[in-house]
Amino acid sequence: MDWNLVLGQATVNGLIIGLLYLLMAVGFTLVFGVMRMVNFAHGEFYMLGAFAAYVGSAHLGLPFLAAVALAAAAALLLGSLVEWLVLKPFRKDELNGMIATIGLAMIVQNLALMAFGPDPVSMPAVAEGASTLLGITVPNSRLYVVVFAAAVLLLLYLFLRHSRAGRALRAVVEDAETAALQGIRARLYYPLGFGIGVALAAVAGALMAPLFSVSPFIGATPLLKAFIVVILGGLGSIVGAAVAALSLGLLESYSSLVLSTSTADMLIFVLVIVGLLAFPRGLIGRGEA
Amino acid sequence: MASDAISSTAAAAVPAAAKPRPRRLLLVLPLAALAALAAWPWLAGPFVLHLAILVCLNVLIVNGLAIIDRAGQLSFGHSAPVAIGAYAAVLGAQAWGLGPLASALLALGLVALVSLALGWVILRLRGVYFVLVTFAFAELVRLALLDAAAFTGGASGIAGIPPLAMGGFAFDSRERFYALALAVALLSVAGLALLLRRPLGRAMLAVAANPALAESVGLSVLRLQLVAYVIGSTLAALGGVLTVRYIGFVSPESFATTASVAFITMLVIGGRGSVYGPLAGALVLTPLPELFRGAVQTQHVFYGAALILILRFLPGGIASLAQRRGASR
Repeated sequence: MDWNLVLGQATVNGLIIGLLYLLMAVGFTLVFGVMRMVNFAHGEFYMLGAFAAYVGSAHLGLPFLAAVALAAAAALLLGSLVEWLVLKPFRKDELNGMIATIGLAMIVQNLALMAFGPDPVSMPAVAEGASTLLGITVPNSRLYVVVFAAAVLLLLYLFLRHSRAGRALRAVVEDAETAALQGIRARLYYPLGFGIGVALAAVAGALMAPLFSVSPFIGATPLLKAFIVVILGGLGSIVGAAVAALSLGLLESYSSLVLSTSTADMLIFVLVIVGLLAFPRGLIGRGEA
Repeated sequence: MASDAISSTAAAAVPAAAKPRPRRLLLVLPLAALAALAAWPWLAGPFVLHLAILVCLNVLIVNGLAIIDRAGQLSFGHSAPVAIGAYAAVLGAQAWGLGPLASALLALGLVALVSLALGWVILRLRGVYFVLVTFAFAELVRLALLDAAAFTGGASGIAGIPPLAMGGFAFDSRERFYALALAVALLSVAGLALLLRRPLGRAMLAVAANPALAESVGLSVLRLQLVAYVIGSTLAALGGVLTVRYIGFVSPESFATTASVAFITMLVIGGRGSVYGPLAGALVLTPLPELFRGAVQTQHVFYGAALILILRFLPGGIASLAQRRGASR
């Protein structure tokens, strides 16, 4: 066996998984940054995004790109609405806000169960065949995901860095009161921040929909991964999430070469604990512990 | 002036002397009602009896969660000690031929040790970080149980677990088991109430209210939370042991995230600030699935909505309703 090839392959796979974890975790950490709210419904928006992509492409006949855009737009709208209608009283209230999102997750998941039924559905692959570069082969359907995920993350970066709304959002994350004193209408940015956060989860779900089957239960694992990423990276830190997500993806991919999935999961949990002991606020964290 | 003072104290003494009677009545009435409610399942047939047993087991487990919560940490992985306790009891009996009682003690000891070691590490985390890590740990336990199919039977679980027996007396009927479950549940409520009145419990409350201040007056936050965590987890393990002995079956599916969520829901809806919160929560929420029979989804939607509404409009939970009433009278 050519170990260079195997390792290269594992690296590429790890980066693919890492990018998806990053999409999940960035949205999660953004919501926490804006509202100080641990969003336990984040995985359910991943699930809704996957269903939106499925319905969009299988029932409405949209091209995949449009279906992903539909998922993102729907989640943005729904998320903002839910924040404004349901979660408003729980802003900045870490513990009660978290429990409220547990309630929200139960509602969303079970409404999806009623609407779509418990049986998994699958949608056709986005692309056929595989590409080979430097001896590393990647299925085109996965390559697609990577390109999209990277594009969305780049868009998010540009939005947060350079747009007026994005900078205002970051200002609210930094210090809501001071931001309000500068004339930023913080009230608007709570729903917007939550909406963008869950839209990122929906995009992750939509992108994964063609690779795995879609059911109302698929949100749990990505939520757990987002947890692990933000614990490692520090709640509220986007840079921390990036480092942690890519590391976690690579770690999972490498360890899957020699270990079973659950042994690898356990190893990662132990690593998380050790990491937390060494860096109680995450690697690059700034959230309060 | 002096006569004024005397008359005013006399006037004050009159209602004070009159007070005990309605107060005692207030205490006796609910107690009598509770006793009647507790005795009713024996007369009401097997279905009510079954529900009553589940209520008792939930009271026990949620009381464990409440103790940890009172010390200032919310565990989102409370299904983990239940699962470890349940499996340890069953596997201990199968592997080493231990009797039900010995295997139960083994399970409780194991969970106490595990929670001591785990808590010593993770209780350094505060707030949401602790919540996230306990959540991850519970998922891990479930995955491990699924994975170790050689011992645990994997997803299909273990069936045919014999009922609990002590010295020739087997709790093999619902009537008998209910007596045991009721006794254990009431003991756990009384224990929680007693604990919170003792210096140890007071110190836990102080640590939860203001860790920095508590530390500055010489209370060890870590040590007190560790004590609470070990007691709470062991109570959960006892709940797990009794549950498998009652149901006769165990599988990892019973310990999915939904289980931990259900315990938190009971605690919050019942009331996090009251000794009777877990009791109220378990009493209201355990029979609920029967109202929604065949419509599990509707039930969970209802749970979720109730959770948000209670948090919003009745942050003290159901138990605070009774207390508010009592205070205003």
